Amino acid sequence: MAPVDATAVLNDVGERAAVSPSADIASTGASQSTPPPRALGVTFWLAAGWIAVLLFVAVFADLLPVRDPDALGIRTREVEKFERPGWNAPFGGDGVGHDQFARVIAGTRPALIIGISVTLIGGLIGMAVGLASGYLRGKLDAVSALLIDMALAFPGLVLVIAVRAAFGNSIYVFVALFSVASVPAYARIVRGATLSLSERAFVDVAQAMGASKLRILWRELAPNIAVPALAFAFIGFALVIVAEGGLAFVGLSLDQITWGQLIADGTGEINEHPHVSLIPATVMFLTILSFNLVGDGIRSHFAPREVATRRRFRTEGPPSPSSGGSTLRVDQLRTTLHTQSGDVRVVDDVSFELDAGDCLAIVGESGSGKTMMLRSIVGAFALADVTRSGTVEVEGTDMLRIAPDELRSVLGSHIGMVPQNPLTALNPVRRIETQIIEPMRAHRSISKSQARAEALELMQHVGIPDPERRLRDYPHQLSGGMRQRITIAIALANQPKLLLADEPTTALDVTVQDQILRLLLGLQRDLEMAMILVTHDLAVVRGFADRVAIAYGGQLVESGTIERIFNDPKHRYTAALLSSVPDLELEPHSRLVTIEGQPPPLIDPSPGCRFAPRCPAATDLCHTTEPERTDDEDRWFRCHFPVTGDAEIETAGSRSTRPADAIRAETQGVN
Amino acid sequence: MAGTGRAALHDDAVLRVVDLVVEYPLDRKNVVHAVSGVTFDIQKGTTLGIVGESGCGKTTVGRAIMQLERPTSGSVELDGADVTQMTRRELRAARRSMQMIFQDPVSSLNPSRRVKDLVREGLEVWGLSEADMPPGRIDDLMASVGLGGPAVGERRPHEFSGGQCQRIRIARALVTDPEVLILDEPASALDVSVQAQILNLLEDLKEEFGLTMLFISHDLAVVRNVSDRVMVMYLGKVCEIAPNSSLFDQPTHPYTRALLASIPGHQLDLPPAAELISGEIPSPIDPPSGCRFRTRCPHATERCAAEEPTLVETSPGHFTACHYPHH
Repeated sequence: MAPVDATAVLNDVGERAAVSPSADIASTGASQSTPPPRALGVTFWLAAGWIAVLLFVAVFADLLPVRDPDALGIRTREVEKFERPGWNAPFGGDGVGHDQFARVIAGTRPALIIGISVTLIGGLIGMAVGLASGYLRGKLDAVSALLIDMALAFPGLVLVIAVRAAFGNSIYVFVALFSVASVPAYARIVRGATLSLSERAFVDVAQAMGASKLRILWRELAPNIAVPALAFAFIGFALVIVAEGGLAFVGLSLDQITWGQLIADGTGEINEHPHVSLIPATVMFLTILSFNLVGDGIRSHFAPREVATRRRFRTEGPPSPSSGGSTLRVDQLRTTLHTQSGDVRVVDDVSFELDAGDCLAIVGESGSGKTMMLRSIVGAFALADVTRSGTVEVEGTDMLRIAPDELRSVLGSHIGMVPQNPLTALNPVRRIETQIIEPMRAHRSISKSQARAEALELMQHVGIPDPERRLRDYPHQLSGGMRQRITIAIALANQPKLLLADEPTTALDVTVQDQILRLLLGLQRDLEMAMILVTHDLAVVRGFADRVAIAYGGQLVESGTIERIFNDPKHRYTAALLSSVPDLELEPHSRLVTIEGQPPPLIDPSPGCRFAPRCPAATDLCHTTEPERTDDEDRWFRCHFPVTGDAEIETAGSRSTRPADAIRAETQGVN
Repeated sequence: MAGTGRAALHDDAVLRVVDLVVEYPLDRKNVVHAVSGVTFDIQKGTTLGIVGESGCGKTTVGRAIMQLERPTSGSVELDGADVTQMTRRELRAARRSMQMIFQDPVSSLNPSRRVKDLVREGLEVWGLSEADMPPGRIDDLMASVGLGGPAVGERRPHEFSGGQCQRIRIARALVTDPEVLILDEPASALDVSVQAQILNLLEDLKEEFGLTMLFISHDLAVVRNVSDRVMVMYLGKVCEIAPNSSLFDQPTHPYTRALLASIPGHQLDLPPAAELISGEIPSPIDPPSGCRFRTRCPHATERCAAEEPTLVETSPGHFTACHYPHH
């Protein structure tokens, strides 16, 4: 893809990758242990501390050594009228000499009683309604959705005035009133969460097991709703306190001292004696803030974490001397992602060269670093703190130490990218024509009509019938296969020298995959481009590439021509990987070779061979010393004890000739 | 391509699906024809593989058997009893002998539950407790799926890798001692080395528990490895159903041939896929008349548009729904 588009697409991929690298890390670095939850931070604990103080005060208000909140200072002479805050009365006195400190403390209990009971009653009822209508749907959902909408549209103040007139202003009336009023908000949030949860497979699974609906609601859905509901409850609590304050301000408060009343009482004298209103207002403000902070803290504590919170790219060390000539030269490339859990060595000492017309497939399992090798070439890391070292040269340009402007121009004119998922790679609101022409016009000074003519030619090239009409279409009007053809056309728009394709057909069906790969490889040969095809699919590699490199633990462990690698793998991992894939030449029900254990950690990898912990042939040497690269004809590998023909049947492709149980005994551990 | 024709049925089948139709109303006028008259059966202790590309209805067939989607018409017989006609109570009981395993192992497990509870739940749903089972049944089951060890049961799903989650799912499905296991792409989300572990495990369990399996996948090589018989679907219809080797060695339906020829790097004696299939899959809202594959088939004639082919036995046990099968 072209410059502007290259970065756009990569960023797009990168945003999603903000999760995926962390998944990689989770599966490689810490697959056996829970990643540590995000630290809650000082503000959370300060806020929680404030709430704890309030709870203490509310419970023990009667025992605290403070004055009677209703004692009139003008009579007792203990507190002056409008006394300023000081030693005698920490929060000062109001217009009749009430001790404001005592009154604020007296107001704590009703505030918490209203807040907690409304949150509990309203929250639980709302949760029940939301769960039931979100999961059971049907008429129940239609009716409750309508009721929720009506309730949310109803002018609450009118209700309050009416209820207060009819039932008085005791705390019970307020609790009942606010509880009823808060049900719709909770119900709506829980219903939304339930709707998305009930799409998840585990609900289907429970249903398929024959679980009753009630059981599914209670055992499957409710526990998963609990955390978001709890987070919202804290915020809802704060809203209740705000609401009470607002009502007190218009004279509709309770028959007890509340913070809202204290604020309202002081507003008459706000210019002369601001402390009368401001102090209870500050207490209320801190309380609301604390509940909000605690609610947010709970939510983000359980939310998925990004790899990094800032973007920073660095390059270390000098480049290796250029040899010139090749389209792409990667030499001792190392890429490290600095994350909260530690430094992740996603690419570790990778070297290879590609000439015009070469096609190299990089194959590996998840967490092998294969995608990161591709990203490290173009410097596409979304939200990450990255250090690269070594050399990447495209057509003689040092990609690691180039100015950002020049980088964009090289990306646009020399490199084309074919993305993994054609459904998300195209901008849905722009015509195909615009999306093909834009990269051309950004990097070459050609007229619009000329660019359009080239776009038409490209569309024919990538096999799109009726290209004239298709140029005017939007992406959603095309099938997945057609869209992938369009992304290939875009990648080719500026006649790149190097084509990078990351799992270009993984999202496609097998008959479409065949068409797209034939097209891509045909174009690559015709236009004499160098190409890297990153994939997890060994069949694709075998069917379409000339050369293959096997990625494992951020390194390339073996590379060579397809015939050499597939017929005579040397590295123990390559051999095991090849024999773990079912293929059509195997007899049905053949036992497959498995690789026990987990992929290696990319954080603090062990000093020796990365595959040693899972390798049946590993010795002490393998665990302590990293194997050097051994060159053989048509290939190289990094292994201390390479597979040597017939004797090495335990990992090589001898599945069908060997008794299944023997292989099983050898390869099936506990895992 | 037809789906009609019961020629391929056996007398001793554990699961028998006859003329299964699943349609979803899209709006007042339009209906999505997801599955249009599919008939097949599975004999005890064997595995039937269903292959096809996206939109062929293979997943819907699995879900309709489990009654997760209510079929529009047709019957699903489990040991002779039609589950589509059952009351809710009867259906709950029948589900005990049919279990389904879904593609994504991680999202199939409720993240907030402990592993042991997840496995035990299969029992609790039936009002049984561990006491009703032979002692150590759950531990044995966990060991059978390769999750032995005392502390495993106390952990939660997110502490496990994808392959281990799939093992948990399998243990959970087996706890009620089902007869039929429906597997929808059980290994597709996993890395190849882990996929191999799961496929081996399924073969072992099939033997150990005498399971009858329906294995749904888009991956022909995987289906080739696990199946006894294979059924190929296209746009809601059955194209071909045959013993494993027969299907891969002598595919007769033009779509099956195109599908096999599309496998990258295959060594089968087939022309390039581009000569066997053209164009794009039609919409399931308005599927072609007659044979549904005719719009993409190089051999299609007027007869294919006018007359729907039925399943015909071309060699012993090998059935094809095509007017002009390849010999």
